[in-house]
Amino acid sequence: MRKQSLWYWLFLFPVLIALTVVVIIPFIFGLYYSFTNWNGIQSTEFVGFKHYIKLFQDGEFLHSIWFTTKFAIASVFFINFFGLILALIVTQKLKTSKIMRTIFFMPNLIGGLILGFIWQFIFIKVFAGIGDLLHVEGFRGWLSTTETGFWGLVILMSWQMAGYIMVIYIAYLENIPQELLEAAEIDGANSFQRFRHITFPLVAPAFTVSMFLTLSNSFKLYDQNLSLTGGGPYDSTQMVAMNIFKTAFSENQMAYAQSKAVIFFLIVTVISLTQVYFNKKREVEM
Amino acid sequence: MKTKKFLLTMLSLFLLLSTVLFGCSSSSTSESKGSEKQVTLDIFQFKVEFKDQFEQVAKQYENQNPGVKINITTVGGGEDYGVALKSKFASGEEPAIFNVGGPQDVADWEAKLADLSDTKAAAQALEGTLDGVKKNGQILGLPYNQEGYGLIYNKKIFAKAGINPENIKTYSDLENAVKKLEANKSSLGIDAVFAFPAKETWVTGLHLSNVFLAPEFNSNVVNAFNAKTVEFKYGNAMKKLVDLQNKYSVQPTVSLDYSKQVEELFSTGKVAMIQQGNWVYNSIADIDPELAEKNIGLLPIPVEGFKEDSIPVGVPMYWAVNKNKDQKVVAEAKKFLDWLYTSDEGKDIVLNKFKFIPAYKGYDSSKISDPLSKEIYNYAQNGKTIGWVFMGYPTGWGMDKLGVNIQKYVSNKMTWDQLIADSKKAWEEARNK
Repeated sequence: MRKQSLWYWLFLFPVLIALTVVVIIPFIFGLYYSFTNWNGIQSTEFVGFKHYIKLFQDGEFLHSIWFTTKFAIASVFFINFFGLILALIVTQKLKTSKIMRTIFFMPNLIGGLILGFIWQFIFIKVFAGIGDLLHVEGFRGWLSTTETGFWGLVILMSWQMAGYIMVIYIAYLENIPQELLEAAEIDGANSFQRFRHITFPLVAPAFTVSMFLTLSNSFKLYDQNLSLTGGGPYDSTQMVAMNIFKTAFSENQMAYAQSKAVIFFLIVTVISLTQVYFNKKREVEM
Repeated sequence: MKTKKFLLTMLSLFLLLSTVLFGCSSSSTSESKGSEKQVTLDIFQFKVEFKDQFEQVAKQYENQNPGVKINITTVGGGEDYGVALKSKFASGEEPAIFNVGGPQDVADWEAKLADLSDTKAAAQALEGTLDGVKKNGQILGLPYNQEGYGLIYNKKIFAKAGINPENIKTYSDLENAVKKLEANKSSLGIDAVFAFPAKETWVTGLHLSNVFLAPEFNSNVVNAFNAKTVEFKYGNAMKKLVDLQNKYSVQPTVSLDYSKQVEELFSTGKVAMIQQGNWVYNSIADIDPELAEKNIGLLPIPVEGFKEDSIPVGVPMYWAVNKNKDQKVVAEAKKFLDWLYTSDEGKDIVLNKFKFIPAYKGYDSSKISDPLSKEIYNYAQNGKTIGWVFMGYPTGWGMDKLGVNIQKYVSNKMTWDQLIADSKKAWEEARNK
């Protein structure tokens, strides 16, 4: 047992060091700085909870939290919806399913910044072109209003993440025992009933993983936000990560931005843990 | 058995650590050996437009001065230079020469800035160009060059519409010209009169607002920097110009960016006028050399009730030297800047290679090569200028507050009065911190 624990710690050692140096120590520093008047170069004064009181009156920050929450809800729904649909399609024993898996996964290999610029082109130029051709007003002026900016981000995010989430669903779908489905079929269950009562409960563990991934990814989104809308128009599509970055680096209020980041951390942690707890409860063990 | 395993563990731990540690130490020794023989100037600068030319010039200087090595890093254009500079300093690799923009930057970076008043370049700098970097009798920066902006127009389109740009002296002249262009849009083959890039908050929040705020601060950036409040005395004149540009622009303006404005619309003749400066010359020349060479001109941005025939001219950025560097490096940095701006060879480079409008005395101004710069130089010579005060705005106020409010205004999410009130309040809050 002692030998085992030695090896255990030995293999854990590099990861622990890395985690301490790049996550835990900076986190503690950040927490400390959020209570001071740190300006990025030095801190001279301990200001207590001043920044935390201020940020709850900061309309722009509260707006960005609200916008991020709306975005997270919409994108979690769409990513999982499309991810599951794609997974169901490619597990249907079609000849093209291998190549389709690759294609669906591909958007995930492109970096967020580049994707943002590509979609910016699509939304602004291609959509406007379609709008002019078909005389449909709804295709014009994308990304120039808050609503189109919001849906632009959701579409981009779903397009990118759905393929990734699909892979997780595939793994669970392929593990479903065929006997169960066959038995149900013999008992006269139609395909919807089979999906609803057998497939769906058995993929539930996948929901836990996928929802955790999509939820935390949507909350922490930065690069797609930066390159697609840049927060515009008038900062209305600015998400929390971007708001924090802007406070820190373009307004030069490092300590205040730190306190925002701490609150952001708490929000993401609470939401993610609650979600994992509830989903775990629902899972069915085979 | 147990001890053997333990030894093995320790050995592997040791190996792991040693690769990490020795990896670092070996690289640092080689670096220190090199610096004994030669001086390395790390330059961190923002001007993307002249990156290639500047690198060539650095090579030239290296050849003439054996023992000097110049490394140039350029971050700018769409990137945020200020952010990059902060992280550069935070990483410990402090550059020897970097850029500061004005009083706010000087206040932020004061602990790092060397006094440059003993350089030849500082003595040669044109009057007023050093205002923003003077502090306690020290000169903490040297101007890059001068730049100016206004309403750049397409001469061909104006001629076709029968408008003589020389007759545009006031706001109402401009408005009439715009209306005439708008009425003849289809026969002139243009999409709209203007391309107003409200997405680029520096165009609206910094450049446009500067014209209307400069009279309040007597055109002096230091006055703006010290001002506790902002009045928007010429707010109505500003509203007129925002309205004019926005109404007669290609829509939607909130998602119209710099490259669309300059490259896609103006350079291809799809709009008649854009609010930009001499820096767009190269972009236009890349797309349509003939247009850039012969058919563009510059109109002033009229401020009703103040000056209606002047253009804003100022220094975009200053060179600063890091005083925490080795004395040898600091001396070499000053020598390099002096060479660049005051030697005959340097002057030639500044005019012909960089195509700058010089901010120093002793230049042959007839050699300024591009038409926009020449026009700006003429305005400056006739005293028809408005100073640049936007470098004295509170940090982030111009772009993140005023520019964003202008976006709200053109999207009908805010009235002009709200815009003024909100921007005033933000200025005061920033100043009373």
